[in-house]
Amino acid sequence: MVSNPAQAEDLAQEAFLQLFRKISTFRGESAFSTWLHRMTVNVVLMQLRKKGLPVVSLEETLDADDEAPRKEFGTKDVRLTGSIDRLQLQRAIDRLPPGYRTVFVLHDIEGFEHNEIAEIVGCSIGNSKSQLHKARLKLRDYLKFMRAEKAKTG
Amino acid sequence: MTCSDVQRVLPELLDGAPDGAFQTDFDTHVKSCPACSELVSDLKLISSEARQLAATEEPAPRVWVRIAAELRAEGLIREPQSAPTRPILIPTSPRRRWSAWWLVPVAAALLAAGSYVVSHKPAPQVAKQQAPATSVTSAVPETPAVTSPSVPTSAPQQLAQKSAQPTDIVGPAVGPAVEPAPSAEDQQFLSVVSTRAPSMRATYENQLQAVNADIRETQAYVDRNPGDADARQHLMDAYQQKALLYQIALDRIQ
Repeated sequence: MVSNPAQAEDLAQEAFLQLFRKISTFRGESAFSTWLHRMTVNVVLMQLRKKGLPVVSLEETLDADDEAPRKEFGTKDVRLTGSIDRLQLQRAIDRLPPGYRTVFVLHDIEGFEHNEIAEIVGCSIGNSKSQLHKARLKLRDYLKFMRAEKAKTG
Repeated sequence: MTCSDVQRVLPELLDGAPDGAFQTDFDTHVKSCPACSELVSDLKLISSEARQLAATEEPAPRVWVRIAAELRAEGLIREPQSAPTRPILIPTSPRRRWSAWWLVPVAAALLAAGSYVVSHKPAPQVAKQQAPATSVTSAVPETPAVTSPSVPTSAPQQLAQKSAQPTDIVGPAVGPAVEPAPSAEDQQFLSVVSTRAPSMRATYENQLQAVNADIRETQAYVDRNPGDADARQHLMDAYQQKALLYQIALDRIQ
């Protein structure tokens, strides 16, 4: 949710501290991992708000970016068959819009189901699925572009 | 099924949610269409490769060290006397005899003030420093300890106002603004700590500074954005943390 590793560490620390302080408030109404992730998302969002940084809701991200991923010139014949370079994939993920990145990380990296993601980020299950699909399409375009660039430079 | 149809149903079908008639038509089209076949294959590859990134997301060891240090400083864990290598959780006992009895209603008042802030959307004039007594004390009757005759009736109002005011503890600046002087309640609290456990005063003073700064910053944000429910909940959490700090101090200095 943040692109700065040092800031990510600070926020991870604060999230765990909040966990210790508020563990007695967990009522078991959702999975513990869902509750913890929800708390973590709130810690990050609150930090962003305090810094005056814009916080766009997942719904707004969906509405503002509701278009087909832009096709990069020269990538038509590039294929992604075989394995994907992990570093390139991480870079592509970092380029995703925040809403897409959040859902993609929660589903494809962390393994959460859409109903859990909907509860964590406060959106509908349908939006979660749509965001994930668009994130994957964008990543596909980014990766094809990177592969095409790499082929050009040898 | 056409390529457009495949694009439309892909979010539902790609992650293994088979849907009878759609699934059959989908599979048939994908097998016969090179473009859609490549698309489906690429998206599945991206999803499966992404799972490999999960193992690289662990925080650095220094994060765990800082967490442990912070928890010790807050009194939430401590090193056992005979086994120095294994920290244990300190259970909070709700029934203790207090000699600093006034801290009990102060802690409850903190929670009441926080509950009021979270449950009521303040009008701009109410969010300023001079919060009207009626709007604060309207939440007080729900907390018997606060309305008992032995409790100063102005305590919740003072706490709610003072916690919202940038006039608290003088100390290391958290942000660009100068740290305000400590509130009367915080001064009394630190005075008791100094008397009963002088070695812990610095620790609790630092903790109070941090939580007061958090309350100030969050209150300032809530004042600007009264409709932000998450921020209001965070403010409530900050008040709870301050009340917990008072309670832990009472546990430890008895």
